[in-house]
Amino acid sequence: MDLDALFGCLSVPACAVTQVSTGLIIGMLLFLVASGLSLIFGVLGVINFAHGAFYMLGAYFALAAYQLTGNFLAALGAGALGMALFGAIFERLFVSRIYGRDVLMQLLLCYAFVLILDDMVKIIWGAEYRMMGMPQSFAVPPLFIAGGPVPPYYLFMIGISVVVGGLLWLGIARTRFGKLVRAAAHNPQMVGALGVNTSLLYASVFGVGSLLAGLAGALAAPVRSLTPGMGLSILIESFIVTVIGGMGSIVGAFVASLLIGLTRSFGSLGFPLFVDGAMFVMMALVLILRPSGLFGRQV
Amino acid sequence: MTRSNAPNPSLAKSSLTPSRRQLLVAAGAGVAVSALGAPFVARGAGAKLRIGMPTILSGRVAILGTSSRDAATLAVNQFNASGGFGGREVELVVRDSKGQPDEAARVTRDLVNTEGCEIIIDAEASSGSFAVNEVVGDLGVLCLHTCSETSALTADPKLRKPTAFRSARQGIHDAVAGGKYAAELAKANGLMKWMTCSPDYAYGRDNTAQFVEYLTIFAPDVEVVNEAWPKLFEPDYTAYVTRVLQVQPDAIYSALWGGDLVSFLEQANLYQIFAGGLQWFSGGLADPPIVNALKQLPEGLHSVFRYDPDYPDSAANKAFYKDFDAISETEPTNWSWQTYTAVQFINQALAATAGNTDGMALAQEVAGATVDSPFTESGTITMRAEDHTIIDYPVAWGRSRPEPKGFQDWERGDWEQILTMEKEWKQRQGYL
Amino acid sequence: MGAGLIRDLGFGAAALVFLLLIPAFGGGAGLNDFLIYVAAYGLLALSLNLLTGYTGLVSFGHAAYFASGAYSFGLLMQSGEVSVPVAFVLSVGFTALMALVIGAICVRLKEIYFAFLTLAFQMMFHSIILTWVSLTGGDQGLMGGIPRPVFWGIDLSGPESFYAFCMVVFVICALILRQIVQSPFGHTLRMIRDNPERAVFLGVNTYWAKLLAFVLAGAIASVGGILLALFASGAYPEFAYWTMSGQAIFMIMLGGSRVFLGPLLGAALLQGLNHYITGWTEHHGLVLGIVIVVAVLGLRRGIADFALDWAQSRRERRDAPADPAPAVSGEKA
Repeated sequence: MDLDALFGCLSVPACAVTQVSTGLIIGMLLFLVASGLSLIFGVLGVINFAHGAFYMLGAYFALAAYQLTGNFLAALGAGALGMALFGAIFERLFVSRIYGRDVLMQLLLCYAFVLILDDMVKIIWGAEYRMMGMPQSFAVPPLFIAGGPVPPYYLFMIGISVVVGGLLWLGIARTRFGKLVRAAAHNPQMVGALGVNTSLLYASVFGVGSLLAGLAGALAAPVRSLTPGMGLSILIESFIVTVIGGMGSIVGAFVASLLIGLTRSFGSLGFPLFVDGAMFVMMALVLILRPSGLFGRQV
Repeated sequence: MTRSNAPNPSLAKSSLTPSRRQLLVAAGAGVAVSALGAPFVARGAGAKLRIGMPTILSGRVAILGTSSRDAATLAVNQFNASGGFGGREVELVVRDSKGQPDEAARVTRDLVNTEGCEIIIDAEASSGSFAVNEVVGDLGVLCLHTCSETSALTADPKLRKPTAFRSARQGIHDAVAGGKYAAELAKANGLMKWMTCSPDYAYGRDNTAQFVEYLTIFAPDVEVVNEAWPKLFEPDYTAYVTRVLQVQPDAIYSALWGGDLVSFLEQANLYQIFAGGLQWFSGGLADPPIVNALKQLPEGLHSVFRYDPDYPDSAANKAFYKDFDAISETEPTNWSWQTYTAVQFINQALAATAGNTDGMALAQEVAGATVDSPFTESGTITMRAEDHTIIDYPVAWGRSRPEPKGFQDWERGDWEQILTMEKEWKQRQGYL
Repeated sequence: MGAGLIRDLGFGAAALVFLLLIPAFGGGAGLNDFLIYVAAYGLLALSLNLLTGYTGLVSFGHAAYFASGAYSFGLLMQSGEVSVPVAFVLSVGFTALMALVIGAICVRLKEIYFAFLTLAFQMMFHSIILTWVSLTGGDQGLMGGIPRPVFWGIDLSGPESFYAFCMVVFVICALILRQIVQSPFGHTLRMIRDNPERAVFLGVNTYWAKLLAFVLAGAIASVGGILLALFASGAYPEFAYWTMSGQAIFMIMLGGSRVFLGPLLGAALLQGLNHYITGWTEHHGLVLGIVIVVAVLGLRRGIADFALDWAQSRRERRDAPADPAPAVSGEKA
């Protein structure tokens, strides 16, 4: 425990800015992955255990597109849209066949795809570490905000995540599609009875959730090393976020991701060895005191 | 766990009665169950001598397994091409333990008991190698550990097994060599304020503690002002990079390796932490796959030797690199040369026992053996008899160069000094 | 009850004799190892099914008790102070106590929240193992092997006697579980699963019933951990990782949760497939994944459950030959 370091940092603007931005960097990627997981669970009732693998696949798609075109936007598009398509097909071909079955059967199916996708990545891209590389336009010195350095790429990454998160929230709260999604989460039969094509609805929800994971992977590709199995750690953190924020709640996922991000960045100063433990303690406390999560519907 | 709002709940009631197609799947599963007994029929000693190799071929450290396997395959192929011994060829049987120690133990037992392997090359990391070590102690076959760098595995007499050896570098040797190299630079350039940043697990902690111990023995004035311990396989190092910015040390020692090191350096580059003359000392950077993966290799980073096709600058090393490249998808790693060397020891021992694969007989030949090596400055490598571990391997330190990405200016380690200080260390630990 | 008990005991004895005769009839050391492995994982899966299948409580953190058994047994044996049976009883007792404390908090919650809370406790346990290096050896596990001193004339260092020991322990634990499931308490658990309101109405204290099931399941899981610790001659933090709990769930799902021995079938299948495929190809993840997908989509339930449904539908068809409708209703609904 080094709480002096923690409070010392908070009182120095440069240090505070750096650590807060660090928290945002960690938190926002996590938010993208977790909000997709949360959306899929909230509407379809499926715990998408393969979500971490989707994140990995998004990163590798981005890598492939970047190597092919040299264009960073193309890489982002390939990661996000590629995974949206992949997710929708995955839902139609596999997940849709076991709706209404034991939830654990869905878990088993998703687990099988974690195994398959990890191996596919190893077969296609090899076992070695890969790096996409920083696009030229971002390979510049960090900016200084109140004396604290922040790399422009991270500002871009945080910006995109916030915009996408905002759009997602608007899309669900304000559009017709969003209304259907919310209705489907409450009462699927009713939505079906109203003549809505539920198959299409479910596939697109799964697609949007996968898009978020793929986008996160693509955004991570320039700064995190790519290996088969890289989705595992982000999967478990996303579960924590989903539980703390409340399953199915986008706002909850946002707040919880920030909480985890800031715990990581400030925790690494104040209590570095207990950062992981602290996350699980938070999760346990939320479950005990308010099982539906900070922003979840009360059960 | 059943949810009232699951889509199409009407489906739940359907197909409780199995269909024809489902019956076929079930029948298939039944056949699969009964076939499961088949692989356990033990193989007799055949024409080929089988060497079993438990390792990690999946997950985040799969490259440890693939680059070790390819090196072993190369060495075995070369041995067979040269006629094997007494007309008997060697065959390699590789198994994935997925990095689970209990699985490593089971796979090793199975390789010996069912697959008829008479020798084990243990290419497991960390805890897996301790599990294999216990099994080998039980079964009494010859075993060479090729990936575990934890000193205790061979140095601690309580853990040592009569037929187990280590054909791998180890922490204490690197610590003495690295401490001395770093201390000289620290004294010459006034690097007084040090920080460490290593993965939070046994290897990372031991390796770092030993490095710091010898750094301060050789340069008593330096001070370690901060320690950062990211967990193993941490995806995001920004929190630790920014800590470096807060602490502003003169130099950093890091035991990070593999994909973790790649992530750290790329994320550190975004903050340009090396622009101000910060010196980086690394226990794992000079491994070709890491250098390859990095998009930007800053100039002048220090690393201990892992593998380099140009060091030692010999025809034998170049030939190894070329032959390895021909059969492998990856570049050779530190684990590659260690595993290749293990097969060299095995081959020489087999020649000496005329093909007798009894564990103790082979162990007697491996203990104290010296083989010609493409990888060392002296051209040979020795398996020390007293504690079953290799010495005289390269513990050189070099500096990075951005173009073409690689390492240069290797400074050879002083083995005489290493051995003296290792002995003192063992006495302090109560191993001697 | 009496007849059921005698039948179960008879079945258990026959199974034990069969298992003990395997080495004599051509089973090699490899097969013995495999069966020990299946026994250890089988106890993990069978005990988890007491919660998952019979009580309707899906625990994601069951491996914590498996690991607790392995670590406490390993530490007690390494201390050199106690004999194997004493260490055995103490480890099971310690684990039961741990399950009591954790369960008291967890069983208040329902469904997925229960699952995640058990997961959180398991990961905390895993963190403690990793951080408390001086006691547990951290990520390297309990090093230096687990001693096996002779007790009651039994020497576990011999492979044959160790195999026999594991099989006897396994069969006894499976019989105990079977008796729990068949007892009035077992029926109470099923009622809590199917109709909790009715259980409350009938005066059942569901909290205490669930907690008791949680503790019993944890205690039996710890025996599996002890067997694996003896087999691997060490205890490792991987035993307490969430992937281990995940494996147990997959064994239940693959084998079936409605038939008592379903999870055991799942354990044998998953370990067997794993063994067979790993020996055959480096890409075992791909192959095993495809096998699971085919099984899940083809059967849509565990294999033993499938067999149960099949047998039932046959019986129904025989009893009511005039009505062939149910047999073709599946699939396309």
